[in-house]
Amino acid sequence: MIKLQSVTKLFNEGRPNEVRALSDVDLEIARNAVTVLKGPSGSGKTTLLSIVGCMARPTSGRVFIEGEMVSGLPEKFLTLERRTTFGFVFQRFNLIRGLSVLENVMLPAAPLGLEYRELRERALARLAQLDLADKAGIAVEYLSGGETQRAAIARALINDARILIADEPTANLDTDLTHRFLAIVEALRDEGRTVIMTSHDPRIWGSENVDTVIDMEDGRIIGVSE
Amino acid sequence: MTPWLRRQRYLADFTLAGLARRRGKNTALVVIYALIVFVLASAMLFSSALRREADLVLADAPELIVQRLLMGRHDMIPADRIETLKTIRGVASVRGRLWGYFYDSINGANYTFMVPDDPAYAPGPGEAIIGEAIPRNRGHKWENAPLFVSRTPGDLVKFEIIDTLSDDSALVSADLVLISEADFREFFGIGPDVYTDIAVTIRNPREIATIVAKAEKLMPDARFVTRADISRTYQKLFSWREGLLIAMAAAAILAFVIFAAEKASGLSAEEAREIGILKAIGWDTSDVIAMKLWEGGLVSVGAFLAGTVLAYVHVFLFSAGLFAPILKGWAVIYPEFSLAPHIDGLQLSTLFVLTVLPYTAATLVPIWRVASADPDQVMR
Repeated sequence: MIKLQSVTKLFNEGRPNEVRALSDVDLEIARNAVTVLKGPSGSGKTTLLSIVGCMARPTSGRVFIEGEMVSGLPEKFLTLERRTTFGFVFQRFNLIRGLSVLENVMLPAAPLGLEYRELRERALARLAQLDLADKAGIAVEYLSGGETQRAAIARALINDARILIADEPTANLDTDLTHRFLAIVEALRDEGRTVIMTSHDPRIWGSENVDTVIDMEDGRIIGVSE
Repeated sequence: MTPWLRRQRYLADFTLAGLARRRGKNTALVVIYALIVFVLASAMLFSSALRREADLVLADAPELIVQRLLMGRHDMIPADRIETLKTIRGVASVRGRLWGYFYDSINGANYTFMVPDDPAYAPGPGEAIIGEAIPRNRGHKWENAPLFVSRTPGDLVKFEIIDTLSDDSALVSADLVLISEADFREFFGIGPDVYTDIAVTIRNPREIATIVAKAEKLMPDARFVTRADISRTYQKLFSWREGLLIAMAAAAILAFVIFAAEKASGLSAEEAREIGILKAIGWDTSDVIAMKLWEGGLVSVGAFLAGTVLAYVHVFLFSAGLFAPILKGWAVIYPEFSLAPHIDGLQLSTLFVLTVLPYTAATLVPIWRVASADPDQVMR
């Protein structure tokens, strides 16, 4: 369902500090599966994830989602794609401080102009699903690490995203919370969603909940294991 | 509520939450901004009120004033000149006027004594109508306090106060004492055959210059002051003060430009990251810009309103106390006057356009730059 053809990504192109983050990457990511990108720091995992999630454009090459080429789309259409297709869980979760958990979860749906009651109910349902309903009114800076992660997942799913993208989601979590996260991932897959994440945590890519592990190094794919 | 309105509501909610998050920074911003608007609005309200005062004064002024000169100084004019002026074709009416200044050593203030133009409004013998500043200057209410004035040591003249003048044109009426013609002549010791000057009304204003030329031939020792001359005198009287105000305003505008340029130079790392997050989770560039427009609008309109209300209170309730030495200047030797509240809608709109729009525009530039970049690039 997601296909990358000869994708290259350069940062600071043409300058002395040019960085080649991805080189000629060809990749297919299956629908309704859990895929993990693994590799050392600087291997291009996060860049690849950003390109798949329409948060960055490749310098060259093409990206297809459900057969539609998105790499050449104008920003407006990429935004629409991010809003309707993807949900993001960032490395440091990137919840907005000062806002409550509920407000953070409602944020991605705000531009849709839904009825407030409908929007609130939808957000509360997501929080309940992730055992966070009782924390809805608390400012996000007062949440624990695991709670913050689950709030970020709830935010990612508020628009009913078909694809969840997570960048190092367990980087700062203990084993218990990591297992809990994997259980959530499994539940999402059972709901029919696709999960793509980066990790250099063996508890993640070694888990039986993961369908595909893509090994990366120096901006290239060096191995794919099912 | 339509989806568009609901979207605006969510954006406004998020904006308010954002302003509250950066409470300290935003409060400082609004305070500085409101102070700049306060200085500009004070200058504008004051100059606007002065112009209105001048308009009120000139609205009923005669087309021509004739004064006799003696050794280059204004002197009393003989009453028979009235008949001389009436012989000129085109003259509608001619009347002698009586007015003069008096220094009240008891209260340390200068008064302008005058006989009303219309005899119907003239007070009776021993009575006076006074300007609104005189009771204030004397320190008690006029109802119970006759006006006592002393011309020489041991001399005391009493006037019963029968009314006060409205403050519609406080600039010229504040120190006024209206008395009867007989009382005036007796008080200043002048004979019945002279006037301070002569007011001439002319049927066709386009003939003023011709009539002045004819009158000059008939009265070579007289000075002729037209309404246009008076208007120019007022402009000169107010213009140096306005000049100082404009200099102050220019300094404030310069400060504002620096302030806006500083704002336009870039966003903080936290603000840029926040925009990156919003973009990544599905906000469109237009959503981010609309949200920041709400933010800029709330800050600038809030500061504009606060600055303008403070300026109104400052100018009209506290007589522009902070700028009084500059704004009132000469008036310190006259009884204190207060300007009638007046707002010029056009000036206020101009101030709005000059303060709110540049700020909002200046803040939009860096936001547009960040919001139109890829979210990944912004968050990095």
